[in-house]
Amino acid sequence: MASITLDNLGKIYPGGTRAVGDVNIDIADGEFIVLVGPSGCGKSTLLRMVAGLESITEGEVRIGDRVVNRIEPADRDIAMVFQNYALYPHMSVRQNLAYGLKNRRTPRAEIERRVTEAAEILQIGPFLDRKPRALSGGQRQRVAMGRAIVREPAAFLFDEPLSNLDAKLRVQMRLEIKELQRRLRTTSLYVTHDQLEAMTLADRLVVLNGGRVEQIGTPLEVYRKPASAFVAGFIGSPAMNLLDARAVPHLPGTAHAGTIGIRPEDLSIAANGPIEMEVTAVEELGAQRLVHGLTGGEAITITLPPDAPLSETLRLGFDRGNLHLFQRETGARIN
Amino acid sequence: MKRTIFRNQLLPWLLLAPQLAITFIFFLWPAGQAIRQSFLREDAFGIKSSFVGLANFRGLLDSAEYLNSLKVTAVFAVSVTVMSMGVALLLAVAVDRMLKSARVYTTLLVWPYAVAPAVAGILWWFIFNPTVGVMPYVLEVVGYDWNHISSKTDAMILVVIASAWKQISYNFLFFVAGLQAIPASMREAAAIDGAGPVRRFFDITFPLLSPTTFFLLVVNIVYAMFETFAVIDATTEGGPAQATNIMVYKVYFDGFIGQNIGSSAAQSVILMLIVITLTVIQFRYVEKRVEY
Repeated sequence: MASITLDNLGKIYPGGTRAVGDVNIDIADGEFIVLVGPSGCGKSTLLRMVAGLESITEGEVRIGDRVVNRIEPADRDIAMVFQNYALYPHMSVRQNLAYGLKNRRTPRAEIERRVTEAAEILQIGPFLDRKPRALSGGQRQRVAMGRAIVREPAAFLFDEPLSNLDAKLRVQMRLEIKELQRRLRTTSLYVTHDQLEAMTLADRLVVLNGGRVEQIGTPLEVYRKPASAFVAGFIGSPAMNLLDARAVPHLPGTAHAGTIGIRPEDLSIAANGPIEMEVTAVEELGAQRLVHGLTGGEAITITLPPDAPLSETLRLGFDRGNLHLFQRETGARIN
Repeated sequence: MKRTIFRNQLLPWLLLAPQLAITFIFFLWPAGQAIRQSFLREDAFGIKSSFVGLANFRGLLDSAEYLNSLKVTAVFAVSVTVMSMGVALLLAVAVDRMLKSARVYTTLLVWPYAVAPAVAGILWWFIFNPTVGVMPYVLEVVGYDWNHISSKTDAMILVVIASAWKQISYNFLFFVAGLQAIPASMREAAAIDGAGPVRRFFDITFPLLSPTTFFLLVVNIVYAMFETFAVIDATTEGGPAQATNIMVYKVYFDGFIGQNIGSSAAQSVILMLIVITLTVIQFRYVEKRVEY
């Protein structure tokens, strides 16, 4: 086990395209860090740079107190779980698990012990002698995890490991990964574009946009106090309402703000509230009701209890403390 | 697959007719003729032929020359296959590792396939010509006296190179396609699992290529046994002293030059049987084990 430090990390491709820049993250030993961002934000590139599958053009990656910039992936003491699992199709599950250990000349008895142990943790014992193609998606996912566990590495790297599973299985595996990590206390770096997955798994979140870090913080910090309009719109579901201040000039407490953010769940119906909303669509979610509409030409959404009365226009109020104010040009938070 | 129901019974047969006619006229009928003739013996003037049963086959199996041809064919086919597939795989792996200009190399490497076998034969015959060739000159520098006109080994090497050279392009294309079908993450996973480039190749890449490899194995053996006639004819004509007289060349030589139609037909039938057996073995037994 080890800490991981990304120090001014950057990547410029030979053509001159910048994929990642100025990334500084200190990952404590045993911490679960999730890199989250829209596709193309550089999160996978960042992970692959830590893994050693992508060269580092700027800055440093340290695992433990060792700079690993020029160290082969095999010697970085990390294990990676790939999006498509990358199981070796011609090897049995047992051989898949043992391959990394065999290459490191681990004694046979020790390999056997670790494989059995990992199989027990992940409940894949009955499939050890099957080939990957005879397994279901969830089972393959477990084998991929098993291949990481048996190595007992300093860190786990996950590259969108759940995105090939169906929605129900994804929720279940998400929980299992979290439990497993809590149990093994192995430092983990996890990449996903799914903000819900990021929120539920992370000890700390790293929100990336355009190859740069927008915010680092615990899920609640990021949710409650997004550092930029981008983070505000990206984290949380349904997404935060972001209104152009010019469209709603009369809102109290919004002086100097370029963009005003307020979460749908922080809005409520108030007879003389400052926002007038013209309802355009209603989504029934069972436990709540999602009402979409317009105010001053800007899209706005509110969550209401399922029995709340509806009309063509609603007047909405909010608690001033729940307002998120951002600069117009940079999108940076100002309150 | 989509199934079409024909109301008219005649139409499907009409649609099949061209293909059936071609198969019958150009494949089944000549094959049938060969089988028929293998049981006949023509008189010296080719006027009448008489049924001799298996005498032609018995004669062949008693002939030292024919047994030699069998051996030569085996050595030749194995050498051509190993060489053409080995070099092709090497080139394919090299191209697969390239980030830039892989397409240019692929295009260039495919060109030899467009060269007719006879031309390829002549080409290598000139390169290795003891009098005017480049290679004998180079080999002389390292102390080897090349002469494929008198040395059996040299002659064999020449026809193997000339035959393999052409086939490398074909194998190369299939290997490149096969390599590109292997997900990069598989090799990355192996790299993280501590396998160096060589291990990675033998543990991961090569096993995953095996469907391609076995397909090419069949194609190459069949190529070496049947389609190398022109190469042999343009270079060694089976010599010296029968050293490169592979079965397919002997069929031609005994039949057209020697005018021994019965024996030649019997040889064709044996060749046919060998290829049928090879193909059945490969696809029945070997293919099954390649699946993963």
